[in-house]
Amino acid sequence: MPGRLIQLRGITRRFGSLVANDDVSIEIESGSCLALLGENGAGKSTLMKVLYGAIQPDSGDILIDGRQQQFRGPADAMAVGIGMVFQQFSLVPALTVRENLLLASPRAPWLQVPGAPGLDTVLEVLSRLAPDLDPRSRVADLAVGERQLIELAKVLNLDARTIILDEPTSVLTPAETQRLYGLINEMVADGKAVVMITHKLADVAACADRTAIMRRGKLIHAGPTRDMSRQQMVDSMIGAGSPASASPPPPPDRNVARVVVRELGARTETQQVQGISLEVAPGELLGIAGVVGNGQTVLAEALAGLHPLTAGDVTVDGISVAWRPTPPVPDGRVAHIPEQPMLNAVVPTLDLAANLQMRDIRRRSFWQFGRRGQADLTVRLQAADVRPPEPSRLTGTLSGGNLQKLVLGRELAGEPSLIVACYPTMGLDVAATRTVYRQLFAHLARGASIIWFSEELDDLLEYAHRIAVLRDGRIAGIRNRDQADRAGIGDLMLMHDMARSA
Amino acid sequence: MPTLARHERLAGAALAALAFIIVALGFFAVIGEPPLATLLSMAEYAVGDRYSLSETLVKMTPILFCALAAIVPARLGLISVGAEGQFHVGALIGTGMMLWTQPFDGWLLLPLVLLGGAAGGALYGWLPGILRARLSVNETITTLLLNYVGVLMVSAAVYGPWKDPGNLGWPATIAFPDAAVLPQLFGTRVHAGLLLGLLLALCLHVLFRFSRWGQSLDILKGNVRVGRMMGLDYRRHVIIVMALGGALAGLAGIGETSVIQGRLQPGISVGYGLTGFLVAWLAGHNALLAIPVSFLIGGLIAAGDTLQLFNKIPASSATVLQGLMFATALAVPGLIALWRSRRG
Repeated sequence: MPGRLIQLRGITRRFGSLVANDDVSIEIESGSCLALLGENGAGKSTLMKVLYGAIQPDSGDILIDGRQQQFRGPADAMAVGIGMVFQQFSLVPALTVRENLLLASPRAPWLQVPGAPGLDTVLEVLSRLAPDLDPRSRVADLAVGERQLIELAKVLNLDARTIILDEPTSVLTPAETQRLYGLINEMVADGKAVVMITHKLADVAACADRTAIMRRGKLIHAGPTRDMSRQQMVDSMIGAGSPASASPPPPPDRNVARVVVRELGARTETQQVQGISLEVAPGELLGIAGVVGNGQTVLAEALAGLHPLTAGDVTVDGISVAWRPTPPVPDGRVAHIPEQPMLNAVVPTLDLAANLQMRDIRRRSFWQFGRRGQADLTVRLQAADVRPPEPSRLTGTLSGGNLQKLVLGRELAGEPSLIVACYPTMGLDVAATRTVYRQLFAHLARGASIIWFSEELDDLLEYAHRIAVLRDGRIAGIRNRDQADRAGIGDLMLMHDMARSA
Repeated sequence: MPTLARHERLAGAALAALAFIIVALGFFAVIGEPPLATLLSMAEYAVGDRYSLSETLVKMTPILFCALAAIVPARLGLISVGAEGQFHVGALIGTGMMLWTQPFDGWLLLPLVLLGGAAGGALYGWLPGILRARLSVNETITTLLLNYVGVLMVSAAVYGPWKDPGNLGWPATIAFPDAAVLPQLFGTRVHAGLLLGLLLALCLHVLFRFSRWGQSLDILKGNVRVGRMMGLDYRRHVIIVMALGGALAGLAGIGETSVIQGRLQPGISVGYGLTGFLVAWLAGHNALLAIPVSFLIGGLIAAGDTLQLFNKIPASSATVLQGLMFATALAVPGLIALWRSRRG
């Protein structure tokens, strides 16, 4: 396969008053992996959607081996071998793996009765990517990492020589991530060009031989990865005046419990927890570690009063906040930061003002003729660091980091006594992550108790005062931070499997 | 941002109206009528004189109620097409009230009849509401199917136990006594139900915009999970909006039966339920906008009747025009969006 050079020259793209790409020029070479690094909203995805033909630039050129290209849509880009795997997958969950691949392949036979010739040609790529994956299994039953492989197979089936991956590791488990790194390196060795949009330095270190860093629509730096230190990358991404990294207040000395969870039990169709007993002191950050699917979601909702209990109780300052037997009326004592804010924490079809103020919906007076002034709301949005701070903006248009800051601005407004935070920094860039931690720590210092669900063991070990491990719907053990280490917590998370194999 | 969108919506509506006029002219040409003259006489028959205007308002009244009956559930994201059935059950229960109380012939008769109409419609909306809230049964399917049941229940009553023997076999109840009928206005067939409908549309608009209830509906419509997080009870709201919508259609049914028909008989509705549903969509589920839109559609239907009478053009051409109007009104904004995205 001959090498080729793709050049983006002077790409500019505006969305209203926002300049998403400002005169950006980069080069993409065959047999190389380029990491496109930057914070949420830096313009990485926009730039790559321009290359993929999904967005038309306001100005600038795309050249392949020096010849100018005109992409009117993704079909044009695919025709010259440019494919993209998006963050949101476009698979049909009710269909099988093979059917999904057939849907997307131009070489799929028209008549797809069992045994028709050519039915299995679409599987060739997938069988190399994932030999163990049964093409007859339904996509709905697959893990996220497996679905991503199918998306990748779809792109490779189109003979893509340039593959764009949009935040590919943000949804993967550590093991799946390692496998993806391996695949990327194989594709590069195979002479393909890979562009990886990411905000994780680990991704860059694992695969990218070249790195381009974007900030606020501009290209800040581009060059070989080995010429840059980690610190340089972070500084380029965040820019000057970045917030200092935060540290939590020291653990509280008084060991009185502010939040008491007693023998809590709750169940959904797929998850259950039982016999959960926890005590959290004022100013204490209790981390909950565990492999996803061990009851985290139902436990978090039960703690936040959003799921009926089958047993036990949750009290804050001695008053029950649990759904038992009727749902509690939210009164601001419990804040809840759900996972995936766009799905679980905001109403995308309403404006920022409505989303910021909705906590008091049950308690506000029936008639709402005079709502609070826009100026006041703008100030609150600015205080929460939501950009842009426009109260009448539709919430669905916010990026992930700004969305989470909006949720924090709402949930932490009423000086809550208990904060239930589920993966609050998942998918956020460095600056937004710091803002989230800073806000949580400020409430710790004020005396709030925080129960923090996380998958990132390193973060838990760095910030949590104590770590409880959830396994099979029960607390497998609780460790103080000074007694905890990676291996010990990991053992608690997996003890079940070890006991079996022993 | 909002002012721009509003500006665009107005331009879209104007373009849609223009497109409809062109399509309507084409339709008249196809059926062999002088296009411009026919269109102008239609406008004249809709609003040209006192009588035409009053007939337009008569047709507008049940349409407005049925549009509101679709709008209320739509504010929660529910698609109810059950206004036709609720209209009939409202007429049925309201008439039952009249039959039951008419020996007394007091001032209480009218409120009881209206209340019966509203209660009948509410019951007939509550039923699919509770199925949706408790068992997640699709409300569009249940309301659609219950329409047939509602219409046939009226037939069963008027062919059977409620048939007035004095009718010589004609399937209808006895006539409503004057005390059970809403007052008529200006010596025309327009009745106080129109004023009630206008008042209700205004009240609903204010409730949607400026009340805790309206804001709760907005939240639940946009994201049920977030609504639950804020302590809102989705099931309760489903039942409330379905029953309230039903009550509005039931009022339309009893008003039409008591004032316009004078008695309960088959054919009390000429598709008002479905027309109201379409008006609700054209109005973008805005209660206030439903008023001008139902006036427009009412005028179209009334003009169609007159057109048949004087110009010997079949009244069904009004139905065709109505269909063309909905098609253009729904297609033009889509075409504008497509055109804009093509331009990039």
